[in-house]
Amino acid sequence: MGSPCDLHLYGADVRCIEDAADAARAEVERLEAKYSRYRSDSVLSQINAGAGGPALRLDDETAGLLEFACKAHAESGGLFDPSAGILRRAWDFNTVRLPDPAAITRLLPAIGLQRLHWEPPQLRLPAGMELDFGGFVKEYAADAAVAALRRAGLRHGLVNLGGDVSILGPHPDGRPWQVGIRHPRAPDTAIAQWPMHAGALASSGDYERYFIVDGRRYCHILNPHSGWPAQGFASVSVMAPQCLVAGVLSTTAMLMAPVPAMAWLTQMGLPYLAVSETGELRRGPGQARAAGCA
Amino acid sequence: MGEPVREMTLDGRRALQTLSSVALALPAYAAAPPAESSVDYHYFDYREADLAAARSASSQAVPRYAISGHKLLAETPLGPRYGLRADLTVESMSGASPWFVMPDARGEPVQVMSGATIKDSRQDLQLSLSRYDSRRSLGVSLGYSDEDDYQAAYLGLQAAFEPAASQTSFGFGLSYSDDRLQPTEGGSARFPERIVKASKDKLSLQASMTRILNRASVLQWGLAYSRASGYLSDPYKLVYVEGATRADARPDQRSMGSFFLRLRRHIKHVQAALHLDYRATRDDWEIQTHTLEGRWAHRLAENWRYHAGLRYYTQSQAAFYAPYFTARPADGRMSSDYRLSPYGALSALAQVSYQHQGLDLALGLEHYQADAAYALGRVGAQNPGLVEFRMLSLRVAYRFD
Repeated sequence: MGSPCDLHLYGADVRCIEDAADAARAEVERLEAKYSRYRSDSVLSQINAGAGGPALRLDDETAGLLEFACKAHAESGGLFDPSAGILRRAWDFNTVRLPDPAAITRLLPAIGLQRLHWEPPQLRLPAGMELDFGGFVKEYAADAAVAALRRAGLRHGLVNLGGDVSILGPHPDGRPWQVGIRHPRAPDTAIAQWPMHAGALASSGDYERYFIVDGRRYCHILNPHSGWPAQGFASVSVMAPQCLVAGVLSTTAMLMAPVPAMAWLTQMGLPYLAVSETGELRRGPGQARAAGCA
Repeated sequence: MGEPVREMTLDGRRALQTLSSVALALPAYAAAPPAESSVDYHYFDYREADLAAARSASSQAVPRYAISGHKLLAETPLGPRYGLRADLTVESMSGASPWFVMPDARGEPVQVMSGATIKDSRQDLQLSLSRYDSRRSLGVSLGYSDEDDYQAAYLGLQAAFEPAASQTSFGFGLSYSDDRLQPTEGGSARFPERIVKASKDKLSLQASMTRILNRASVLQWGLAYSRASGYLSDPYKLVYVEGATRADARPDQRSMGSFFLRLRRHIKHVQAALHLDYRATRDDWEIQTHTLEGRWAHRLAENWRYHAGLRYYTQSQAAFYAPYFTARPADGRMSSDYRLSPYGALSALAQVSYQHQGLDLALGLEHYQADAAYALGRVGAQNPGLVEFRMLSLRVAYRFD
């Protein structure tokens, strides 16, 4: 998945743990191969290659993920949009160079999940559009890996796919896992630790891919309405029952203005930690005690 | 950048509900068969309080019924899609039970108990196989129960499904049982009115709908219908008619409809859950019942939990019930069974449990008391056989990781 991944597992014996870990790893690799935009044989590449052509019938899992993405698009007022990946044609985070604003403006008409002809499980992708599941498939893979561990009979452990964490179950003695949240300006250190028995944690931040021009940071989380990077938060971490849901919420919050973003997360009653660009911490109400600072 | 006006209108609560429910339709969150094998053992001891001297025809307190039993439940996955479950119950009963009711010198009904101490044992085995798919499960159960004087065979089908992108799930159940009776000493010189053998069957249907109201609350409601036919009387009970005793004689059909409502609410800041259940039934014997139960489940510490609950029950009497009869009814239908009399009942229950790794231990106690004064409607004369009991239960369960 292009980022460090780790598994922490308990089981009856080494053999049993290894079998379960193999099953989890295989599940993550399966999803990476299925939804990679770098592999021409991936399901996603086939969908994109069929843009402007006849309707494609999607398999259950892909249809489920697309349906989820469409709901997330609607519930986020269009801020969560898997068709915004096309902006990569203007934004290159491997070089320190601002794109030509006209190039961005030219790409905007190709963005907007509401433009799909989506009658599950039949999808017709309009010409010029492109889908990218990269914004949520890693989170889904963390949950799928936990499901694979559970099928293999394990009950205690966690899956961490590059900072997206899904919990299988607490330590065997019932103690919660202490899950660290990355410091957005020092990604090797934790800015906070959350005790977790169950559920999942996902983070989005401006620290993964970015460049700085004239003292201003431009990150890879792009607003599908404007085509320009998120501003206001350095990172947002959300705890939710599923990592897939937590990931959509943290990404969407990154793209919102700070005040409405916090109001939106607070309405959900989920624990969250937002770090502003100036380094201030913002937590959900009543959460300071539950999620102690490191 | 963004569009603040648009963002202000976003509804976080609805977003979370929608996304959580759509996510659950994905394969990674599919209903899973038991991923591990488990064994559950229950011991229970049910003991009825003595029949009070004031209600007894002999003017002396009489010990009543006691049942003690063992239940063993084992569950195991069979491949990724199937689960198999076996339930074995072995119980032994002893003691005296209400035989018939007669008037005392003042015309007040008093209870005559069965003289000899009944001793019997029952064995019951049930096997269930279920198949789990992404949004539905299907199960079939077969059971057989055997006593000295009673055999029952049982078949059940269960289905559950959850439509995509929905906060609602549906459940359906159908069961059929075929029972055979050969009462002890039926047709003997001592008990000439007691039948030699008989049979009955019962068909039950149930449909329910479960809806997630919000992150903390789940509501379930449903309807059930059952129809029993055959010998529905109690061969061991008599009725007192015009100074003589006759066999308990009930209609040979009984249809019952019921409605139930269950609310589960999690109360996060005290780590507790509130369960509220209501059930109403009505049958063509003219019995109407209402049951209201509240239960509080509270986590005391990391591994300790307790449950405490109160249950209220009330029923009206069957059309053909009387404590005793002064004339034989024209249709010949009559019963003095306290279970068909008008009464109400209160139960209090408490349970403490401890979980550690795969082990789960629980100790529970229930106290139940039936009384005509607890009934919702007015009761002319209380049936003297109304029961009071306490039940002690012990559970040891283990899940193999």
